[in-house]
Amino acid sequence: MPRLRMVLFWCGVLLLIAPIAAVVCDMPRFGDHPLPYGDAINHDAPRDRHVSNTVSAVNFDYRGFDTLGEEFMLVCAVTGAVVLLRGSRGESVTAEPGTLPGRGLPGRSDAAVLISRLMGPFTLLFGFYVVLHATVTPGGGFQGGVVIASGLLLLFMGEGYRGWRRIMRTPWLDVCEGGGALLFALAGLAPMLTGSAFLQNILPYGKFRDMLSGGLMQIENAGVACAVMAGFSLVLLEFLEETREPEHDDT
Amino acid sequence: MTTHDRLDMTAGLPWCVAAWLLGVGLYGVATSRNYVHLVACLTVVQSATYVVLLCVGYRWGAGPPIFYAHPPGTPAVDPVVQALVLTDIVVGATVSALLLAMCVQLHKRKGTLDPERLRPMRQ
Repeated sequence: MPRLRMVLFWCGVLLLIAPIAAVVCDMPRFGDHPLPYGDAINHDAPRDRHVSNTVSAVNFDYRGFDTLGEEFMLVCAVTGAVVLLRGSRGESVTAEPGTLPGRGLPGRSDAAVLISRLMGPFTLLFGFYVVLHATVTPGGGFQGGVVIASGLLLLFMGEGYRGWRRIMRTPWLDVCEGGGALLFALAGLAPMLTGSAFLQNILPYGKFRDMLSGGLMQIENAGVACAVMAGFSLVLLEFLEETREPEHDDT
Repeated sequence: MTTHDRLDMTAGLPWCVAAWLLGVGLYGVATSRNYVHLVACLTVVQSATYVVLLCVGYRWGAGPPIFYAHPPGTPAVDPVVQALVLTDIVVGATVSALLLAMCVQLHKRKGTLDPERLRPMRQ
């Protein structure tokens, strides 16, 4: 069987080599070809939307509808992972770390606790900074949400399982996850009440290079940040919960 | 070395890197004997798309598409593909988490993650 599979694989490779070589030869010259869409947005976004980070302008304004789809893909993937993992363990949670039979629970080393306690709050703060400055400097809800989730993981390493479970309330995360996507959808629907198009940026754009510039982008950014932060935290939480032995009331 | 020489030397390299990532990832998928390894190979295949997208939007001598430190109008790379890659990475990470969750369940039910040793699911 493995041999047949490799023969099939190499047949596929041989079939693909010629088209890929043709595509590589026909690709535009690297770094030296016109970028009409990018140039148009780089020209328009600072002027029309008062936004200095044009990547965020693409994500939340020019291609906001596309980002709404990505947002729901994210929610679907997280929901699927949570259903698969939590479904087998039940809903109830006990704040006890998991143990394997015959293996003790070694305490955390002081160095790990110290570094995590030092770095955790700073990482969280940095995450919020990245989220808030979405329209000004490199940043946004997607990046910032992931940074915040990593800060929460550092809290786990600093405080241990029990402390972490006291901080991380699953219902809050569930609300944050769904609420973030809902906020994005509402930000799209709200302009329609005023007779504008879906996701049309009707709020005041603010001052160029100001943290609150961008109008409606700020709300969409907040929704994305909530959903990404809660989504990654939920996934981390569920995978960490997997190490816990199911309790008798967990069925 | 002049700019023109540099252009000629690297003209096809980014696309070859992307094709190589695609090929290596597919090789890993075809030879995988463990589903966790297979999920990692899928992310390698996916990273080929990041290389293609970012290289399509690149421009020699241009800065980032952030007009905070330098004024609007300075040459900048394409923000559209960067936005695509940005959302793609985040969504890709959660999709990997979903696949890994499936691996966890599979290991619980079947006790193995080797595709060769799995039989079709029965009721």
